[in-house]
Amino acid sequence: MKTNQILKSMKVVSWIIFIGICIKAGAILVSFIVSLFVNQEAAKDLFLGLNLSNIYSFDPSYYNAFVVLILVLLAVQAFIFFMVIKLLSKFDEQFPFSQPISDLISKIGLVSLFTGFVALIGTGFSKWLKSQSVSFNFDWSAEEFLLMAGVIFIISLIYKRGVEIQSENELTI
Amino acid sequence: MAIVVNLDVMMAKRKMSLNELSEKVDITLSNLSILKTGKAKAVRFSTLNSICRVLECQPGDILEFQEDDG
Repeated sequence: MKTNQILKSMKVVSWIIFIGICIKAGAILVSFIVSLFVNQEAAKDLFLGLNLSNIYSFDPSYYNAFVVLILVLLAVQAFIFFMVIKLLSKFDEQFPFSQPISDLISKIGLVSLFTGFVALIGTGFSKWLKSQSVSFNFDWSAEEFLLMAGVIFIISLIYKRGVEIQSENELTI
Repeated sequence: MAIVVNLDVMMAKRKMSLNELSEKVDITLSNLSILKTGKAKAVRFSTLNSICRVLECQPGDILEFQEDDG
C-alpha cells in the first residue's frame, strides 16, 4: 500500500516536471522566434530571466545555435520524463521484472547519455563564447546527466538479470 | 533441452487426467501443462516428490535424458 502511494506520487511529480519542461521549451521557442523576427529585445528575457542578448550582439548565428541546442536539450529531457511516466504506469509490484520495463530502463539510460553529450557540447560552446568575452549565464548540467546515465546503465544491467531470473523462476515447477 | 518429461506416458498408465493429477499434487493446471509440454526450465524436488507419490512411480519414469542432435 505504501509502495503504491509512493509510485503514485512519483507519477504525479513526473507529470508536473514533464509539463514544466514542455512549458519552458515552448516559451523559449516563442521568445526565440520573436527575438529573430519581431524584436531583438526578446533575447534579454527568453524564459524567467534567461538573457542571451550578449550572444545575439556578438553573432546572431551563434545565438541561433545556442538556443537550438537549449531546445534540443529540453526536448530530450521531456522525452526522458515521458518514458519515466510510461515506466511508472507499466510497473507491476507483483511482477516487477518484465521485459517492457527492462527495455524502458535501457532506453532511459541511452537517452540520458545522449542528453549528457548534448549538454557537454553546450558546455564547450559556452566556454568558447565566454573566452570571446561574451557574458551570459546558463547551466548545462552535463556532469549530472552523464552521472545519471551511468547509474541508470548499471540499474538496467541488474534489471536485465532480474528479468532472466524471474522468467526462469516462473518456469520452475 | 536434453531432458524429456514423460508425464503424459505415466498419466496414461495410471489412467489419470491432468485435472485429477493437478488436484492431487496441489499444482495448478497451467504449471502441470508447462511441465507436460516440456517448457519447464526446472523442477523442484518437492514437486517431483508429489508427482511420484501420486503416480506411484520413480523420477526416472517421468524424466528421461535424450542426447541433443548436432
